[in-house]
Amino acid sequence: MKYLEDFAVGQTMEFPPRTVSEDEIIAFARDYDPQPFHLDKEAARQSLFGGLCASGWHTAGMMMRMLVDNVIGKYASMGSPGVDQLRWVKPVFPGDTLHLRGEILDVKPSRSKPDRGVVTSRYEMKNQKGETVLTMQAKGMYARRPV
Amino acid sequence: MQYYEDIQPGAVREIGSHTFTEQAIVAFARQFDPQPFHTDPEAAKKSAFGGLIASGWHTAATVMRLIVDSAIEVEASLGSPGFDDLSWLKPVRPGDTIRVRMTCIDKTPSRSRPGIGSARFLVETFNQKDELVMRYTSIGIMRFRNPVQP
Repeated sequence: MKYLEDFAVGQTMEFPPRTVSEDEIIAFARDYDPQPFHLDKEAARQSLFGGLCASGWHTAGMMMRMLVDNVIGKYASMGSPGVDQLRWVKPVFPGDTLHLRGEILDVKPSRSKPDRGVVTSRYEMKNQKGETVLTMQAKGMYARRPV
Repeated sequence: MQYYEDIQPGAVREIGSHTFTEQAIVAFARQFDPQPFHTDPEAAKKSAFGGLIASGWHTAATVMRLIVDSAIEVEASLGSPGFDDLSWLKPVRPGDTIRVRMTCIDKTPSRSRPGIGSARFLVETFNQKDELVMRYTSIGIMRFRNPVQP
């Protein structure tokens, strides 16, 4: 198990890529974001996106899964106070392969609760063409190493 | 998700509601956020949260569903470039019922694309005790009902 102290400002993170299928996009949209351009290929063709694309919350969920599998799950995570400046820069289409990179911006032990601290990081997700599809800043709460 | 002309800065829309089940919390988390306090009721008891809680992304996705279901004109929505300042303020637990309040902050017509505009909304989510559990500022892009001819 890793702790707050194992994060370093400036540290960069690379993640194994993930490909998203049309079935996954439609299944998520049916449950959480049933807008025509996430559900219906014909309607999506006439939308601003030009074709069926993933709900932005689905893209965010896939990013979270990559973060948990590769970083958060290996640390003593205590949840997240929030995220900021999330931008869905380009649509994610069926068959797209998502590549995520991250950088640690700040590591701050809590003043009021000496057993934990907050890590601020920035993430950028690109598709297989190298186009940025999502950017975000996130805060994560982590336990400090027990003494 | 009304037409651009329907959006009034300062206007408040109340939307709701949805009750979270343990089954749905675990199912979402297994797929997108498999941390023990979201997937394992026993492990969650020993966590800082003292019990199973929903992934914050599950809460956010559920709020999206409530917003889409409440839309009068789904066809007017052209998607969103993103959101700012999302805070998960309190955990959402099995059995909790959430409702949403959307307050329009401001709106701006597009300069480059006639007939569309954007608006910012403060999106606040409350539980059944009227505690604020999540808050963010969303940006929505929408069509004009009657585009002005150039």
